[in-house]
Amino acid sequence: MRRGLMGWNAAELPKAALEARIARLRAALQHNRLDAALFYTNLVQPSAVTWLTGFTPYWSDGMLMLPGQGAPVFATALSKRVANWIRTTDSLSEIVNTPKPGAAVGKRIAQAGCKRVGVLNYDSLPAGLYDEIIDAAPGVELIDMGAVFADARCAIDEAERGLITRADALANTALDQVDAAHSVDAGAVAGLVEKQARLGGAEEAYIAIAPDLDADRRLIRIAGTLPLAGRFAVRASVAYKGAWVRRIRSFARDAGTRRAYAAADTWLGAVATSIEPGRPLAAQVEARLKELPGASLRRWIAESCVGSYPLEEITSIPAEETYRVLTVELSLDRIPWLGATPAFVGKTRL
Amino acid sequence: MTVFTDRRSRLLEEMAGEGLDVLLLYGNAWQNDYLRYATDFGILEGQALAVVREDGVTLYLDSALEVDRAALECSGVEIVHAPDLLGEVDRALNRLSNRRIGTAPSRLIPRRIAARAKELNLGDRTAFLDRLLMGKLASEVDAIRRACGVADEGYAVFRDAAKPGRADYELIAEAEAFFRSKGVDDNFQIIGVGGPEVRGMAPPSGKRLKAGDLVTTELTPCVEGYYAQICRTLVVGEPNAEQNKAFALYREAMEAGIAAVRDGVTAADIARAENDIFRREGLGIYVTDQYTRVRGHGVGLFADSKPHILEDVTTRIDAGMTLIVHPNTYHPVVGYLVLGDVVAVTKTGCEVFTKTARELFSVPA
Repeated sequence: MRRGLMGWNAAELPKAALEARIARLRAALQHNRLDAALFYTNLVQPSAVTWLTGFTPYWSDGMLMLPGQGAPVFATALSKRVANWIRTTDSLSEIVNTPKPGAAVGKRIAQAGCKRVGVLNYDSLPAGLYDEIIDAAPGVELIDMGAVFADARCAIDEAERGLITRADALANTALDQVDAAHSVDAGAVAGLVEKQARLGGAEEAYIAIAPDLDADRRLIRIAGTLPLAGRFAVRASVAYKGAWVRRIRSFARDAGTRRAYAAADTWLGAVATSIEPGRPLAAQVEARLKELPGASLRRWIAESCVGSYPLEEITSIPAEETYRVLTVELSLDRIPWLGATPAFVGKTRL
Repeated sequence: MTVFTDRRSRLLEEMAGEGLDVLLLYGNAWQNDYLRYATDFGILEGQALAVVREDGVTLYLDSALEVDRAALECSGVEIVHAPDLLGEVDRALNRLSNRRIGTAPSRLIPRRIAARAKELNLGDRTAFLDRLLMGKLASEVDAIRRACGVADEGYAVFRDAAKPGRADYELIAEAEAFFRSKGVDDNFQIIGVGGPEVRGMAPPSGKRLKAGDLVTTELTPCVEGYYAQICRTLVVGEPNAEQNKAFALYREAMEAGIAAVRDGVTAADIARAENDIFRREGLGIYVTDQYTRVRGHGVGLFADSKPHILEDVTTRIDAGMTLIVHPNTYHPVVGYLVLGDVVAVTKTGCEVFTKTARELFSVPA
């Protein structure tokens, strides 16, 4: 559950930016003959609603209805008293506090005479909400609109670029706290990194550590005391006002490995900067390996925000400018290394 | 035996008693108690479904990052990376034809799977799981007792961090760093800073503490999967007479609620004991949903577990349940004020797990 800084700042996220996003999505809805759109949100799947309204639930869930015209309607089971808080982060929507959010939006759909309504993540919509919607609007045709939304959403505007840049600065500063030469306890490192991110105003910070890279490269959520080996990696997944980044840094006690890690960090930065949209990513990463002598690729993941998840694995890079997190696992002359960096593909790296 | 193996044995035994062959459980970082009961996995990102059979548990996760973590953290559970979560689980359910399959929590089961209820013989078994989640095993009660100890320590860290000029989110940052060092992998926490204008608690908004402010918090660390909560209020500077008077009322209400807890009463009985104190003082309006949500709730694998302590909730309170009793609400003179302790229900009353003093704390202005 979110417990970091949450709130709307018009200087960071101007109302005009939100209105432009809504207008872009409405044009896409019209083009696809959809009368309205529905978005389920909770703290795990907040991103579509955050992108449209600025609002992220810290707890519980809700549903946003974007009608063809007029204000969005946000229905939530959060209590009436929480409506005042919601209003501080969502300046656009009409807020409806109700134990049955699905019934509330279903009623609006029926009242508006909607025939075809797009639903993001239609298949995974919670059954309870779906039943409420259908009971209130039995004649409506609900249609998955994942592709329609992803297409409208993928372009990065200046507001989003600013929030992502701020989140990345928080992640970097937090990871800067790790003393590679002297850190011995994984729990202490996790606490230190998380604290720094939160002190900087992070809305959320998930810290994971691979405490002994030579033994196991998988990252786990550390709590409590666990010894750090000579080589370890730290992942900071950090959110600022709904914008998420991920960074991984590998650390080593010995100076030789530290030099190799620094070279790999520089290499990853260069690769992320120069990803060409529209071309297979694996081939691009493989082709650049020759710039890092002794390196072999073990695994890579590209993530982006294309729907309701803050970051999710993607398999292709669309032709236009988008935001990506690239995670790469290498062997550097048999020394394990993990790295992750965010990048605006097609434009300047963060 | 660990708490988890205890829990899993009980689950399989109870499933057999209910005539259930399979359970399908949904979980995410918000509502994870049903899933965690059977898998012990504290999911953070993405969504998960678990298929629980007599011969084993399979956990399907749509996040590759979470798969890595689950493989290391969950013993005795088969972990499957399922980028197409629903497709993968659909196929698993197809292999379980002619079995009695229960689902929980039914409200959150994905629509596409719920639509196959008739074909797959799926039945809503949320109430069955709720019964197990509410009535704790002895090892679960012990885990919650340990978690309460960490909550007490966490509140001390929070209190020490409260200084004039600091932002609300900085206090939480200090508590979080402490929790990571203490084996706490999650925490639910909201906060209120100010005076009579504060109507409730919310996530931090960047408000900075100043002399005279009441600082309320509900701090809920998760230890071994179990959330323990503590609610306390502090004043920046010395409390004034009105603040002390108001706090005394909340303390009396909480203690009245705790005194009402024992095997065989209802949630309503506890709520009524708390609320009667406010009504006696002519503050009855402030115990309605216009000003407050609940007068306490269960604690366990979810931060806001059943039963909710409200005057219209008739759930029977049984020995083995763990609850927080908190008469948190708005006070018209001083603003929102909180106080809450965790208790374990016994045959004759309850054992109070929270050790932090029941006082209106003060930090230097």
